[in-house]
Amino acid sequence: MIRLEEVSKRYADKIAVDRLTLEVGAGETCVLIGPSGCGKTSTLRMINRLIEPSSGHILIDGRDTATLNPERLRQSIGYAIQNVGLFPHMTVGDNIAVVPNLLHWERGRIEGRVDELLNMVGLEPGDYRRKYPSALSGGEAQRVGVARALAADPPILLMDEPFGAVDPLTRERLQGQFVDIQHTVKKTIIFVTHDLDEAIRLGDRIAIMESGRLVQYDSPETILAAPANRFVRDFVGTDRALKRLSRLSVAGIVRPAPSVSLDTPVRKVRETLDEQRSVWVVDEAGCLVGWLDRDLALLDKPVREVMTKVRAESVSITRQATMREALSRMLGQGFHNLPVIDDKKRLIGEVTLGDIEAATSEVKA
Amino acid sequence: MTGRRFSPDWLALTGAVIGLTSLGASWLILKPNRLVSGTGLRLWEAVGPGMAAVIISLWVAALVLALRLRGRGSSLALGAIANTVLVLNFTFAGTAAGRMLEGQPDFARVALGGAPWLATIAVFFLIYAARQGLGGSTTLRNLVSVVGVVIIAGLVFSGWFNNLSLAQELAGREPRFLQEFGRHIFLFGVSLGVGTAIGLPLGVWAARSRRAERPILSIANVTQTIPSLALFGILIAPLAALSFAYPALRELGVRGVGIAPALIALTIYSLLPLIRNTYAGLRQLDPAVIDAGLGMGMSRRRVFFRVELPLAAPIILEGVRISAVQVVGLVTVAALIGAGGLGWFVFAGIGQAASDLILLGAIPIVIMALLVDIVMRYAVRKATPRGVRGTS
Repeated sequence: MIRLEEVSKRYADKIAVDRLTLEVGAGETCVLIGPSGCGKTSTLRMINRLIEPSSGHILIDGRDTATLNPERLRQSIGYAIQNVGLFPHMTVGDNIAVVPNLLHWERGRIEGRVDELLNMVGLEPGDYRRKYPSALSGGEAQRVGVARALAADPPILLMDEPFGAVDPLTRERLQGQFVDIQHTVKKTIIFVTHDLDEAIRLGDRIAIMESGRLVQYDSPETILAAPANRFVRDFVGTDRALKRLSRLSVAGIVRPAPSVSLDTPVRKVRETLDEQRSVWVVDEAGCLVGWLDRDLALLDKPVREVMTKVRAESVSITRQATMREALSRMLGQGFHNLPVIDDKKRLIGEVTLGDIEAATSEVKA
Repeated sequence: MTGRRFSPDWLALTGAVIGLTSLGASWLILKPNRLVSGTGLRLWEAVGPGMAAVIISLWVAALVLALRLRGRGSSLALGAIANTVLVLNFTFAGTAAGRMLEGQPDFARVALGGAPWLATIAVFFLIYAARQGLGGSTTLRNLVSVVGVVIIAGLVFSGWFNNLSLAQELAGREPRFLQEFGRHIFLFGVSLGVGTAIGLPLGVWAARSRRAERPILSIANVTQTIPSLALFGILIAPLAALSFAYPALRELGVRGVGIAPALIALTIYSLLPLIRNTYAGLRQLDPAVIDAGLGMGMSRRRVFFRVELPLAAPIILEGVRISAVQVVGLVTVAALIGAGGLGWFVFAGIGQAASDLILLGAIPIVIMALLVDIVMRYAVRKATPRGVRGTS
């Protein structure tokens, strides 16, 4: 548990953080958000004492951090930043092993941990362990950065816009992965961002800051439903209902999808699916390859000759996607239902517009 | 690789043309004694038509290759020709000198004329062109650069050139030569060592502290603008005063002229590249890398030695290289204030109008500078971390 008591940071000409009091429970993700210069990064950096507070106390599990050795303290807190800061002269494996090495772990244990973490962030250890950071894409570097922060299994994780420097598509994927990882590791996380959608998607609680002061500290639902003041209302914007969809995963509304295989004759498809306007087409491995409009063909030809081919990753979503992503895909592609695939592109079901609508009205109630 | 009908390799062509031109210059010079100017002999006059024909045909072959330099095979051939011509040029000079001295009085001398030096320059052009054509093969490239030079070095030590005036000049002064050679290396080593010991910390300080940055960099810059001889001169007065005030210092060698002012001035000169490159090497680092290191709980010290220093090392060593090459040359001037070194031969030679004496000092200085350069370039390459190579 982390507790900030009346913490202030003053510089010669301005106050960066002004008597901030904040409590983050164990296993919670707290997102600090606000316009640039609001003091969110300063707050983060005071927790691992990269900067020292001018006044006030920061307690971790009841112990005042000012009384602890700063290097020990930092070794027990994971740290991931926007520019990643991987050491360019060290391999991916050595980068991840930095803190375990500082803690004098045994070689075998470190190697095992590196592989475990690379697997966790979805990078094949055999391929990536010996690569240098210069050979990584932006998204891969960010994932290595997260793995490095988690290396010594610290109970606390500080993240300063860790997904800020990658393209929107990669960011969405990394956020989904973050949710999954946090689900298994259950760290106490303080996460700085200026992206409200990110805050709503990832945070258990959101702390909105303005000019060094805490304006509102609540669950995303409460912040969206009941902004504390005008600043928060403006900050949250007018599309609050839509933003709420970012909190909801599609996992709960995935329904079985009708599908046919490539070699089924079209006529047979018509017989089996009278009530559906279209069906998904999968190959022998169960991977999504296209769809078939029922009205399209009356001929006795195999499905593969008359179907509309698609690239699975461009029309479908995964179970980890939010309803907001699903809705946005539907509107963009003019679909009423979206296929849901697993990480091997196998069709596992579909999500319909009606179900999303229903889910939204439940949240409102 | 295809296209224009006439596409010579201009580098090789220049080399071949210079080589052919050298045939018109005097190749060996027969002097009645070491100071008078003597009479020049061209290649065929000195070695006879047979040997001359060998060399001439090699130059022509180089010219033909230069007009159509294609691929590794012809580049390798060009490299072989260049090395052969280099070796033959000097080998023939050694033998011819011996023949020319037969029946001459003892103080007669045979000196190298302009042609062998011109030919050497031409050979360097050819070797450079050949290296480029050899592309990726490091072994072949190095072989092409080194073979001829090694053979000639071997000939030098075997006494092949003992009949040339330069060797005779050396033979008469061998103890002095060794002494000044040692002194040169001493002045170079001490000033570069002390300069590095001062310059690197100053560079680190300038990179770390906003307040120190400006004064350190501007002082280092200003020192570089003072002409070297003037700096030696400026130091004479205060050091002389110091040694009069404290005779004990004089016993340690601190005087207005001699080694002390030379070491001080050379050290000052060595500083700028060291400070500037250390500063630049540390400053170009991504701040996120340092932030990440500290944030993970590395100590300030550890971040410096494990992260900043390894990443800045190539640029810092590049500074050491520039500084070292500069100082090797500058030590020459130190001879003017009585500090000795190979410059002594250069200035004594100028005073006596004895060109061989000048060369006796100048040639080792050039070779030392080249060696220092090669060694330091290698060090820079070795110090570049693998993950960083090829990105800058």
